[in-house]
Amino acid sequence: MRQRITPDARLGLLVALPFLAFVALFLIYPVVVVMIASVTSDGEFTTESLQKALAGTYGKGFANSIILALTTAVIGGVLGLLLALSVKGLERPRWIHNTVNSWSAVASQLGGVPLAFAFIAAIGTQGIITKIFMNLGIDINEFGVSPTGFWGLVVVYLYFQIPLMFLVTLPALNGLRPTWREAAAVMGASPLRYWRKVGIPILTPATLGGMLLLFVNSFAAYATAYVLNPGGALVPLQIRFLLQGNVISGEEDLGYAIVTWVIILLLSSLLLMTYLQRRTLRWTAS
Amino acid sequence: MTRVVMSQIRKTFGESIALEDFSIIFEPGDLVCLLGPSGCGKTTALRILAGFENADSGSVTVNGEDITRVPVSKRHFGMVFQDYSLFPNMTSRENIDFGLKAQKRSSAQRTEIIDRMLFITALEDQADKFPHQMSGGQKQRVALARAIATEPNLLLLDEPLSALDAKVRESLRDEIRRLQKEIGVTTVFVTHDQDEALAIADQVGVMSRGRLEQIASPRDLYEHPVNPFVASFIGSINRFVAIAGDQGMWGVLNRWVMSDRPSVLGDTAVLGIRPEELAVDVAGDGNARITDISFLGPVTRVSVEFADHATSQNPEVIADLMSAECARLSVGDKVQVRVRDDVTSAIMMSKPESEAFTESESIVHVN
Amino acid sequence: MTATTAAPLPLQSPLESPASPPRNSSHKPVNLTRVFRWIYLTLLGIFFAVPMLAMARFAFQSVPVALLTPDKLFTGWSIEPLMNALTDTQALNAARISVTLAILSILINLVLLIPLAIVTEIKAPKLRPVLTAVTLLPWVVPPIALVVGVSATFRASAPWFLASIYSLVPFYALWALPFTYRALDAGLQAINAKTLYEAARSMGASFTTTVFKVLLPNMRASIVAAATLTAALVLGEFAFASLLLKETLPTYLVNFQRSDARGGLALAIFILILTALVIGISVRLMRKRGLNISSTGL
Repeated sequence: MRQRITPDARLGLLVALPFLAFVALFLIYPVVVVMIASVTSDGEFTTESLQKALAGTYGKGFANSIILALTTAVIGGVLGLLLALSVKGLERPRWIHNTVNSWSAVASQLGGVPLAFAFIAAIGTQGIITKIFMNLGIDINEFGVSPTGFWGLVVVYLYFQIPLMFLVTLPALNGLRPTWREAAAVMGASPLRYWRKVGIPILTPATLGGMLLLFVNSFAAYATAYVLNPGGALVPLQIRFLLQGNVISGEEDLGYAIVTWVIILLLSSLLLMTYLQRRTLRWTAS
Repeated sequence: MTRVVMSQIRKTFGESIALEDFSIIFEPGDLVCLLGPSGCGKTTALRILAGFENADSGSVTVNGEDITRVPVSKRHFGMVFQDYSLFPNMTSRENIDFGLKAQKRSSAQRTEIIDRMLFITALEDQADKFPHQMSGGQKQRVALARAIATEPNLLLLDEPLSALDAKVRESLRDEIRRLQKEIGVTTVFVTHDQDEALAIADQVGVMSRGRLEQIASPRDLYEHPVNPFVASFIGSINRFVAIAGDQGMWGVLNRWVMSDRPSVLGDTAVLGIRPEELAVDVAGDGNARITDISFLGPVTRVSVEFADHATSQNPEVIADLMSAECARLSVGDKVQVRVRDDVTSAIMMSKPESEAFTESESIVHVN
Repeated sequence: MTATTAAPLPLQSPLESPASPPRNSSHKPVNLTRVFRWIYLTLLGIFFAVPMLAMARFAFQSVPVALLTPDKLFTGWSIEPLMNALTDTQALNAARISVTLAILSILINLVLLIPLAIVTEIKAPKLRPVLTAVTLLPWVVPPIALVVGVSATFRASAPWFLASIYSLVPFYALWALPFTYRALDAGLQAINAKTLYEAARSMGASFTTTVFKVLLPNMRASIVAAATLTAALVLGEFAFASLLLKETLPTYLVNFQRSDARGGLALAIFILILTALVIGISVRLMRKRGLNISSTGL
């Protein structure tokens, strides 16, 4: 039998085409051009640029960015999960759920210039927290907690990472059915055993998925890092450096190669995340 | 086998009273259904029995031993939940194993028990499947296997069939009954479905507003309900105004019947007559008119409307007749409705007029 | 079997019933975790509040931190820096541009996605996985990566395009796409759009009537949510505007702060509160209507 195009399918195509054309023109086309450029030189296939992009200063940039992203993903992931667990377990007062929920929706979007300013005012050299600790005889900047230091950046990123983790893991937590705990108890299991055998295994994919999202979110963050330390050796800042024409001749393709690596890294993280999320959904859907 | 007694349980949630002076005995090996409308306290009773809730006062004993304050995990019960509650990260086999591991049994023993459980619930081919790969009926069978694998003292079933569709519900119902008799575990089954309760239970406890109204065998419950609530909750019942004659008899429609209350001559009361206790004959000068006929297989349900509304407490009276007798009836026919000759007693649905007519139970409606 | 036949049997399996503990002891561990929960929530609250308060102090109190002593805590406060920042013509100009960009991005997204979301829900469910995949793309291609591609392509082929401030619009619309689609989809799910549509059609309403008279009015809440989330995103976007050298509110803010530190922070607070209010109010509004809007776009 020949496949016929139904009116419904035609309508679907009709509304999908402008949308897909839009995405293709402004997103797919530039990305594909960059990715092709990153593996060709004078029309020949070459991985030279891709290799260069992972060497020297730029390799260091990738290492820094990945370490920063991993650190904020793990710490933010744990703290965000704890936040979700704390709020979930509190039935009283009722406002706490809505407040934390709304605040997280807001704070997870607050990365950017104003946030960077806020932390300069708090833990910068002229910051009030720096001053308070100074009076106590502790120089927090010495421990790397300054807006330009590694741990300072981690602290700033946590400001939006913790709420994001809260938002991502709350559905999974709500998917933990009270009857699982009850069933375990009836069968003679201690709360500890319930968590070890049921609770934690069920939450693990969602937690890992959430952390991957935090990783992506942190790796791609630009504004905060730029305001705090424009010269820092992080991938987004290096891309800016290259984009503004600071290129030694013969390295024009370097920026393209870095972007290609970024997209490969983020794409694989997100694919893994969707896989983990699907598993969580399968387990916790009613 | 285990005898479980709940006595004088009281439980409140804030202002609302969930259970009040609730006492019940579960005899060894019995399957007892707790039946009642939603909010009647049956689930609370089960949760107190399981240990998920603490009663405000009263006690629970198992074979004479007070377990009111024993934590859930030490009670050695089994439980099946409405939502299956299988652990989604474990296969059927691992789900069944969960309780056995908690009992610290040897691995050989566990394997043997699991295999036996899978066999008696006909789940051998589902052994290594995860819950999301199984149908509702299969999941609930795994939940049942998991609950009985630990050889519990008491098996608790919380509306285990209400998430399933009609056909599966019926076959699983029979399976629960068969398994329960086979292993002889004392079982408490909470449901709001009276057909389910009547079909499966040795004893049915009818609950209403936090109290146990009556506990009896299904047949006793149907034939000798202790109050109007039970009478109208179990099966259907028609209400007729009856007049007291002498010798304690009550006149309802055409017949003199006995009731559980003495009568004073000339007194009036409302009596309940079951649909199958009525007979319907075509008669041009009859007392009622047929408004609807529905064929239900062997039985046909005929709805009639009485010309004199004072006779019947309900606008509509229903009569269940043998289908073979109904061929000549059609909607709109004038008919004579009477109580069948073999009916000798009826249930009192209200206090006689002579007594205070205040209790709200007299306005419980037939479904 | 009746309720009185069997005699009580001896205990079959051991019930290690401990001496019944007094009732309130079973509540104690619960209270302890409660205390830990509150301690944790309080600590997080402090973490979230302190930077904001520090920024407010810096902006609105004219006492340098080096000279700040406890007795000077309440001196020198004024909202003058904010007033100065807000009356600056360049700031107003940047704000006007950002608002225009936000409105245009919202419009593009709604025009592209409302028909698509509706058709996907009621006519062509096969499009759903495609849409889900596409809405993940903005996570994969962050602004800092896309800007390289845009420079590599449009700068050569359509220089007039990148010269215009409005060249930001399609890209802002792209990043807001996941939020918009999630919000619209949640709205359609919440009103049971497919059933609603079939009911309307069965009563003889035409496709267009059904969409305009039944579906769209019922989607108002989720359209508002999509719009506010998009607006918040556009008002905060820095990377793309900065790298394409456009002056929007965030890029202006960075430049302004270099010349007027306190005024810059005052303006930042103003923008933050505005953004927070916009997102917060819309999220609460949606929740009141039973809509679970994903503010993460996932």
